[in-house]
Amino acid sequence: MSTMSTRSAWRALHYSAKRRAFQPSTPYRCFSCANRAQEQKTDNDRMTHFGFTNVPESEKESRVGAVFSSVAASYDRMNDLMSLGIHRLWKDHFVRSLNPGSCLPAMTADQRGWNILDIAGGTGDIAFRMLDHATNINHDMETRVTISDINANMLAEGRKRSLDTPYYNTSRLDFVEANAEHMPHIPDSSVDLYTVVFGIRNFTDKQAALNEAYRVLKPGGVFACMEFSKVDNPVLDGIYKRWNFSAIPLIGQVVAGDRDSYQYLVESIERFPTQEEFRGMIQKAGFMIPGQGFENLTGGIAAIHKGIKPIVKA
Amino acid sequence: MAYLARTLPKRVITPSLSQSIRQTRAIATTTPQSTPTRPAQTVPRTSKPRQLPHRTYHSALHARLPDHSYTNSQTAILTSALAHVPAHGFTATALTLGARDAGFLDVSVQLLPRAEFDLILFWLASRRGLLRGQVEEGGLFRRIAAEKGKDVHELSVEERVMGLILERLRMNAEVKGVWQDALAQMSLLANIPLSLTELHSLASDILTLSGDDAVDATWYTRRLAVSAIYASAEVVMTRDPTPDLVETEAFVERRFEDRKAIADKLTGIGQCAGFGWNTAIGLGRSWGLKI
Repeated sequence: MSTMSTRSAWRALHYSAKRRAFQPSTPYRCFSCANRAQEQKTDNDRMTHFGFTNVPESEKESRVGAVFSSVAASYDRMNDLMSLGIHRLWKDHFVRSLNPGSCLPAMTADQRGWNILDIAGGTGDIAFRMLDHATNINHDMETRVTISDINANMLAEGRKRSLDTPYYNTSRLDFVEANAEHMPHIPDSSVDLYTVVFGIRNFTDKQAALNEAYRVLKPGGVFACMEFSKVDNPVLDGIYKRWNFSAIPLIGQVVAGDRDSYQYLVESIERFPTQEEFRGMIQKAGFMIPGQGFENLTGGIAAIHKGIKPIVKA
Repeated sequence: MAYLARTLPKRVITPSLSQSIRQTRAIATTTPQSTPTRPAQTVPRTSKPRQLPHRTYHSALHARLPDHSYTNSQTAILTSALAHVPAHGFTATALTLGARDAGFLDVSVQLLPRAEFDLILFWLASRRGLLRGQVEEGGLFRRIAAEKGKDVHELSVEERVMGLILERLRMNAEVKGVWQDALAQMSLLANIPLSLTELHSLASDILTLSGDDAVDATWYTRRLAVSAIYASAEVVMTRDPTPDLVETEAFVERRFEDRKAIADKLTGIGQCAGFGWNTAIGLGRSWGLKI
């Protein structure tokens, strides 16, 4: 009897709670006009992912900034430990498949060398590889790379490393601190190759960054992105998830002394869209997709996505 | 199985025959109650466009599949690149030059994920399309018949197949010098499946265009024979110094004779075995065995 009464009491409470929550969230909603649709939420209200937690959009940038500032110094060592050295193979494959630099003499002066924009490439991992490939494989001394990163600490790390390369203090290498979602200093249709390697995951608004990439690329230019992705094989996926959530934060704690940053890293990998979803986003920005549109590496742990800006025939 | 069904022979069906097939199909899809004398109800069913991405069967009512599945931009780059093939071979250089000619950047060759192999596949597929065009519009068989001093209708399937193989080989004449490199590319482990698919499509097209309509077990052996003759003749062609590929032609003729000889031998062996078996059974029965 008592259980019956408590249950009905609970139901009544529950019901009333529901009813109270049914207050219309917007004070005015007219079905004949689009007033409600036009209402823009303020920036402070919009939320985005920061790993598994939701944070306001305005806060994500600074939080990601804090993560990468804290890992900048130990970035390479950590990458080696976390990926068991495989990230070097991926990066080499990525650069080799793009084959930067022209082995043929240019027909016009403005065609000489490629203008490459390496987004989120603070430590210069990809940029130095691309310049090496252009110089040593294609004998192209003109191709230049602009390294753009939102984080000054990562750029400082890249500058320090560039001292050991032959490109230090030449016109072929340039460092810019910028937000990839908004790059007013780069003119329209000026870039041959836009690369973003293990970076786009951390962007607040990925679609905005893709649209900006579309703007700065020349017609016929290529957007190439390497990012952690989803594993197809369930067995490999199980092992990979276990490694991600157990081993990586631990390695981060022991080696870099920063567990939280690496916890964010694995959570952001988990939150990143699947290969097909991300291909859809690239298409939405206006790019043409070559073939399948993505190439899985090591069973889908990472994937290379490519898009080509179409040329408009006059 | 689906693969086999997809590549079943496209038989030559006269319009009146296909019309009757359409009608039988339409009748078969109506309910048993309706009488077959009501075409108005059934016609719209068949006139609907059938756009199926993956067909698991072949029908003469389907439109022909395109020769290749490249997009417009990819085709533009590949077509311009083919002009550079005689000089540069099936290489990345030819592709880059093609991209430049088509108004693209050097980096735009990323549109072709298989790079050089895409150029080779495009060459194969586009030449296959040209061959079909020559038969359907160019009156290729009339030319072959005129060379032999015959009427078109007197040409046997065998002669047509040989004529098509030779015509296809002549199309390779301009890339003769670089074709060995292409064959090497095609024989790389990762490229073998697509190369074989393309070879099969060519053999299938040649036999279909020749009017071969066998649907028994020889469907497989014929395609195998044509593929084998074409593939070996391609290798011979790359080493043929004569301008009009006379040596290759002689080689193909010899292979056709071989094929005929082998077929005769196999038939003979089969007949002999059958005769022996029948004799053995007859002998056994005459001895009173219950067989």
